[in-house]
Amino acid sequence: MGILPDEIKPAMQGVIPSHVVTCSRDGAPNATSISQVYYVDPDHVALSHQFFNKTVRNVRENPRAVVWVISPETFDAWDLEVEYDHSETSGPVFEAMDMQIEAIASIVGMKGIFKLRAADIYRVISVTKNVDERIPLPDIDEPAGRR
Amino acid sequence: MIPDRVVELLHGPAFMQVGTRDAHLRPAHAWVIGAVVHADRQTVTFFVPESRSARVLSDLQDNGRVALGLGLASHEAYQLKGTYVSSRPTGAEDIALQETYRTEWLAAALQAGYPDEIARPLIRGFAYRPGVAVTFRVKEIFLQTPGPGAGNKMA
Repeated sequence: MGILPDEIKPAMQGVIPSHVVTCSRDGAPNATSISQVYYVDPDHVALSHQFFNKTVRNVRENPRAVVWVISPETFDAWDLEVEYDHSETSGPVFEAMDMQIEAIASIVGMKGIFKLRAADIYRVISVTKNVDERIPLPDIDEPAGRR
Repeated sequence: MIPDRVVELLHGPAFMQVGTRDAHLRPAHAWVIGAVVHADRQTVTFFVPESRSARVLSDLQDNGRVALGLGLASHEAYQLKGTYVSSRPTGAEDIALQETYRTEWLAAALQAGYPDEIARPLIRGFAYRPGVAVTFRVKEIFLQTPGPGAGNKMA
């Protein structure tokens, strides 16, 4: 039995972008959105390494990161504390991510710009479901009260 | 000085998130519901829900380092980095601004092609009050739109 619950899987299908925050060795946080967090197994997720960007550089200096994901079915959201483990440039995880990135690139008009260099694999340290941070679905358009 | 386009997005329907870190360089995240650029064009106040503010405020009081990411469904994106100035509970004026922001954000998501059954519960489902207004001074601005210029410092 791993850390990631089954109910989190829809949040990792790339329907709604996720957020990732990392921190450099000299203490500068970095906040960005990513198209998809990939479910690898109950204890690991993968993030796409497409550009040698700040997120990629940061986790090679300081492996800790936080990832926020949300389900497009229930709109439940989770915070994941993760730690960068290794990168894969071939194999089933890389191939699956590569296909999905190609598909996303076609949909959003980024074909030729989105290109997977590596699947960065992260170990999941903790998962916390957001509680009291989402307005219940029946109440989202109510004009009054705590929101 | 924050460029016009970034001001426009901060005041408009960009999705936003804030990143901080603690004394052990462990990062933290909160989503942001609305922001205001001050007249000096170097200071920004953004709003986070109180329910998600404890860790962010603790980090900011510890070391003051702020990263504010913002972007559109088109993938146009920017990031502002700076130093914490102050925080306070949101008031009626802030909440009115947040209401407008939520409405514009939903309209933009629908216009970008997100189906209503996803965009509406996603965007209108973010709890935002009670909230906390966090003010920081912007030191650096980076382009984050995917492509050859991603990561370039703009200011």
